[in-house]
Amino acid sequence: MKSILTLTAKDLRRRLASPAGLILSLTIPLAMGGMMLLAFGRMTGTGQRDVPQLRLVVVDQDESPISGIITGATQNPEAAERMHIERAASREEGERLLRDQDFAALLIIPKGFGEALLGSQQVELELVKNPAQRIMPVAAQQITEVMALYLSGAARLLGEDGLKIKQLFEGEGWQDTPALTSLVTVMRDRITSVSDLLFPPLIEVGTGGSESDEGSPGGFNFISWMYPGMIVMGLMFTGLDQMKDLLREREAGTLRRQLAAPVSARHVLIGKVLSVALVAAIAQIILVVIGSLVFRVSWGDPLALAAASGLIVLAVTGFAALLYSLVRTERQGDAFGGILTMVMAMLGGAFVPLQVMPEWLKSVSQLTVNHWCNEALRSLTSGGGWSEMAPYLGVLAGMGVVSTAAGVLLLHRRHMRGAL
Amino acid sequence: MSTEKGGVPALKVCEVRFSYGKALAVDGVSFEVHPGEIFGLLGPNGAGKTTTISMISGLLPPASGQVLIFGQEASDGSGRSRARMGVVPQDIALYEELTALENLRFWGRLYGLAGEALEKSCRRALEQVGLSDRSSERLGKFSGGLKRRLNLAAGLVHAPDLLLMDEPTVGIDPQARLHILDVIKGEANAGRAVLYTSHYLEEAEQICDRLAIMDHGKVLAVGTVAELRRLVGEGPVLNLRGEIQQDRLSSLGARVDGVSMISSSDGVASFSARDAAACSALVRELFGSGIKLEDLRVQEPSLQSLFLKLTGRELRD
Repeated sequence: MKSILTLTAKDLRRRLASPAGLILSLTIPLAMGGMMLLAFGRMTGTGQRDVPQLRLVVVDQDESPISGIITGATQNPEAAERMHIERAASREEGERLLRDQDFAALLIIPKGFGEALLGSQQVELELVKNPAQRIMPVAAQQITEVMALYLSGAARLLGEDGLKIKQLFEGEGWQDTPALTSLVTVMRDRITSVSDLLFPPLIEVGTGGSESDEGSPGGFNFISWMYPGMIVMGLMFTGLDQMKDLLREREAGTLRRQLAAPVSARHVLIGKVLSVALVAAIAQIILVVIGSLVFRVSWGDPLALAAASGLIVLAVTGFAALLYSLVRTERQGDAFGGILTMVMAMLGGAFVPLQVMPEWLKSVSQLTVNHWCNEALRSLTSGGGWSEMAPYLGVLAGMGVVSTAAGVLLLHRRHMRGAL
Repeated sequence: MSTEKGGVPALKVCEVRFSYGKALAVDGVSFEVHPGEIFGLLGPNGAGKTTTISMISGLLPPASGQVLIFGQEASDGSGRSRARMGVVPQDIALYEELTALENLRFWGRLYGLAGEALEKSCRRALEQVGLSDRSSERLGKFSGGLKRRLNLAAGLVHAPDLLLMDEPTVGIDPQARLHILDVIKGEANAGRAVLYTSHYLEEAEQICDRLAIMDHGKVLAVGTVAELRRLVGEGPVLNLRGEIQQDRLSSLGARVDGVSMISSSDGVASFSARDAAACSALVRELFGSGIKLEDLRVQEPSLQSLFLKLTGRELRD
């Protein structure tokens, strides 16, 4: 036992002294996670996505209370989070801001806009889109069109009373209490009459990211589904790279030197396999922590996560030991290991949900280590507990024990034939 | 050092055989190495030296025969005999990522050392090879010569009674070679048995008390350097190079009394002469024969001559 620990400690010390291989193996799942983040936006634990803020320059030549409704649209904090409005004194200044400060569009409210609108006359808003941008100017145009539609509707609703409101805004008639009471009454009647047409809406739009879905077990979160597959793939690369060290040691002559020492060949091989498992466990911890902190993956019960991680590490170590008991050279190990890792990741459902696979492929998927690792972790990220995870853990334990034992026995047989 | 030794030999190899598939690599090899003795195993590539060392160090089980370390079966599984052995392989079998001291600690622990005893042993081994001041440097920064010295230190760290050294001076500068040879002689003087293989005949002649010459898996001759030289003969050796026709050369050699051909191939031939007169007679015959010679040298009998006589090829073939 002491010799096994000595051999394992030596490998860990070497790995710490030269961690490039481990870092490289971990980069693969993290790079893939990063790419997903860029492709699908920042998906938080609730499934909400961050959208860029719309930046708009407004030149208010009208300076009326109605134009103030547009320029003051970002007084609401939620609106301010989504949109930033910068006021410019003139068209020239607005155009300069549009050009130099990366605004999406320039909105010019012409003089007489408010008066015309309250008088139910047709009026025009001018929108100059930034030609250097593609998406945000379109968003600015759509928001302006919606705003114009609402203001037009409101003006038509007011009808001739619009002019009275204009007088009120201009400070005329504020003292005329009967006129004000009459205006309010008319407004209430008109709103009541159209409200039956508007409410309740016949079509309701549901959003997956509504607050009621937050943290619910049934809510689908893409990153939480995808990240376990990436972790398992990263562990596969890590395990294979560590196990390859056996062949590196054979080439360097250190393996023969160890085998000439008063240590049994089985201990030498078990020490190597144990060091592979420990490095894979370190990699698993790093990937889980990064998943929590960077990708906001929720892992559920820590004990269940620890159990799943331990068995995943065992299964990955067993796979690596078995593969390297069959290959003869580092080049063979790299070739077969790389291909098998990618094929098993695909078959195991790292990139595509099992549900969309044909039945025969689902059966093949179950032959891969990745399938059981992915499903165990996904049962945790989707809010499942021990009972959901138990079948996966059972299979992983069986696969891990059998493949590790087979790998060690085959390597020992090779040693006895003088081929190690 | 005397050929005859009393007591239990440090290493006794009896009629060992090993095959890689159908290819017989070692065919009934036997020799003994005694405490305080440096025993050289010489042979060209493919002679079976490394396979023999692998069987002694327990890496390969002999198909037949026996390897005894201080009277104990090497492959008894207990590891006791291996604990008394130190192996210095031809490869620099150390870890580049670790420092010199960390490397020695690892190999020391593998041989059962721990605590203060381990630290003392590591310091002693580093001192022996002159690397005390570089102990905290990573091996990756060492030159080839320094790595060779540390490779030797890793074999000495647990103070073994029997040292197996497979070409420990290959590819290093003369200064580093002298240092390593001094360490090996020091170990033998301290009573340790050393089994030593080398491609350098001069080196083997310089430090080995006894030698075995191997080829095609067999030991062809065993003895001290003086005993082996006598196998070639006491007289001089004549080496020729030129347009040599083997049949003409053979008949020429047969005509001269006291001369025998050692080897002949690819324009090179060697003859051993009983004495200077026989040598002169051979030279006269050669000049009179019309054979076009490019080079002709007369040498004292050496291991190289013996090697040619026994194996028909140079040691570095």
